[in-house]
Amino acid sequence: MDLTAKKVLEINLTDQVAESKTFGELNKYIGGVGLGLKLMETYYDKNPIIFSVGPLNGFFPYASKTSIVLNNDSVIEDIYIGGNLSLRMKYAGLDAIVIYGKAPEGVVLNIQNTNVSFKDVATQVASLGLPGKRSDLILEGADVDISVNPGARMKVILNDYFTTPENYLEQRFVACGIRGIVITGTELTTPKDFDKYQKMYKSILARKEDVSVLEASYPSCANCPMGCGKSKVGEIGGNILIHSLVACQYADKIYSDIGIVFSCLNVLGYDYTHEDLELLPGLIEDTLRRLS
Amino acid sequence: MAKILKALYLENCIGCELCVLETQRQMKKIGLEGAPIRVFRKRKDKSEYLEFGIEIDPRVSTLDLEKIKNICPGGSRI
Repeated sequence: MDLTAKKVLEINLTDQVAESKTFGELNKYIGGVGLGLKLMETYYDKNPIIFSVGPLNGFFPYASKTSIVLNNDSVIEDIYIGGNLSLRMKYAGLDAIVIYGKAPEGVVLNIQNTNVSFKDVATQVASLGLPGKRSDLILEGADVDISVNPGARMKVILNDYFTTPENYLEQRFVACGIRGIVITGTELTTPKDFDKYQKMYKSILARKEDVSVLEASYPSCANCPMGCGKSKVGEIGGNILIHSLVACQYADKIYSDIGIVFSCLNVLGYDYTHEDLELLPGLIEDTLRRLS
Repeated sequence: MAKILKALYLENCIGCELCVLETQRQMKKIGLEGAPIRVFRKRKDKSEYLEFGIEIDPRVSTLDLEKIKNICPGGSRI
């Protein structure tokens, strides 16, 4: 895992080709919405869907969301989905996945680390990926004839449960011809200072009282013990730092503390400074200004 | 006598994978490859509810089972 650059998997649906690229200059965007917006600027003409994770995903509790940046009728939207997708992306060694173009016959993407195979829509999604190490996003309701059942709605469902707010992702999946995405991550890593990392992990995990949801028994995001009822529908908009990490918005008492974030990044071996974190909102503001 | 880890009360599993990540950390690894515990999901009778299954490799008995048990939400669900 390269901590000095962002690894982006670029998937061209029209030509059915994929390539992983490394961008050192994107490191200052941290990840999540920061990285997603910058990639949207870079790929704007291709009208991409951008999935991105942050530097703490896969490493620390309550940092379990995945950012999705897309263009909805000329408005750039940032939405967030829970589940275990962010861990699969991180363990695939990816910081972002940029998908653009259109698969006229429809496609199911099977991603394992940086390898992508393009499967036809008849493929059983459950047969793809490695058990226990995979996540799947499926466009449900795509086969329903809305002239017969006008109330039917399509929804992109992660792991049979998690969704995103609004209907932006569904519209882009339909426009691109995406019927499903399976992601498997099999990479391993070891933080620079493992003992210190362990201590930080435990101390953050113990801060359940600082997470502003009630503990329950719903399916939980990975690396989160809360099992809350809020995670099912994901998030939209909000705190820049939280969404660049991409942490849970209900854990903002933990992850809006720059000192804690800096310590987490440092123990993993990232060379971000306090100044980098403080400059992030300005960088994102500038990117948004250019995009608009 | 060697201790054995068994998954009890599977109906309480919320799929958080904290147990999987704990085993990996005990082996000084971050990731899922080679994990002695794997969590699977299954839809309950085509309803909207999910159930989870846990597969435990006997290799796990070389690890600190108490820590794995204690990290499960609810304390002793595993």
